[in-house]
Amino acid sequence: MNINEIKHELVTLGGGAHALASNMLGNPDDASDAVQDAFTTVLGKPLAYDAQKGPLKPWFLRIVRNRCLDLLRRRRPAGMPVDELTDKGATPEQAAELDDRDRELKLALATITNEQRQIVILRDHLDLPYAEIAIVLDIAPGTVMSRLHRARLALREVLKSYE
Amino acid sequence: MNNERQHIDDHVVEQLSGYVDGELTQQQQQRVDVHCASCAECAKDLHELQELRESIGNARLSNKNQDEWREMMNDTTVQTTRGIGWLLFIGGALVCLGIGVFVFLFASSVSLVEKLVVSAIYGGLALLFYSVLRQRLIERKTDKYKDVEI
Repeated sequence: MNINEIKHELVTLGGGAHALASNMLGNPDDASDAVQDAFTTVLGKPLAYDAQKGPLKPWFLRIVRNRCLDLLRRRRPAGMPVDELTDKGATPEQAAELDDRDRELKLALATITNEQRQIVILRDHLDLPYAEIAIVLDIAPGTVMSRLHRARLALREVLKSYE
Repeated sequence: MNNERQHIDDHVVEQLSGYVDGELTQQQQQRVDVHCASCAECAKDLHELQELRESIGNARLSNKNQDEWREMMNDTTVQTTRGIGWLLFIGGALVCLGIGVFVFLFASSVSLVEKLVVSAIYGGLALLFYSVLRQRLIERKTDKYKDVEI
């Protein structure tokens, strides 16, 4: 895979990576920085990616996740304020455009744990198979299903409480 | 938990997610199908999980589109300035350090004993810094609890 092919694929992964980072960091601007750092890392050392070891998507998402964990470790938050999930740069008109369901989902995602958020985003938003989720999260493949199920149940309970 | 649910083990309940994701073997899928045919609560859970998955899949969780990512990726300013910035910083710091060491050791009127004492203090601090840095780097690579939330 040459640098142009990597760039082309990274562009398509940007949105998903940003969604993951936003939900980990609770701030879209920090998330953009994390994704940009990951771009810089990958494009600075394109030979570090070995296509024979697996697809680019989980490899790149793992870099993004590690970058987010670095940022979180520095921050050491007590918890993620729900308010931070909303885009502070959005105008009232843009905010109004957000679908109610999306807003509810964002709030609900902010309520469950960071680990649960990650696994739900990776599977349900980024459509990663269980094997690739295990790579990104650095966990045993056999534990993905149970963790994901618990995360979904937690999210469902929070969403039900809004009804 | 109602009586109906008490008949099934947790494993089947967890498999509802695997079923929604198409990650089960044919045998496991059939097991879930059979169970859900007779368990209204699990059938409802399955339906809700499918709806939840669909909602998250369709949700707009990122406020940037592909053009913005392309633009960001092709913006070489960040990479270039970052590289040059580090180069200047490290280069400048090394030159300052070199000049400082040279002036202190060879061009100052400080006595040899004082030079040795001061060198020992700074040398000791440098070794301690190196030791702590090395330990932190090793921990960072091997800390299995690094993702645990506090």
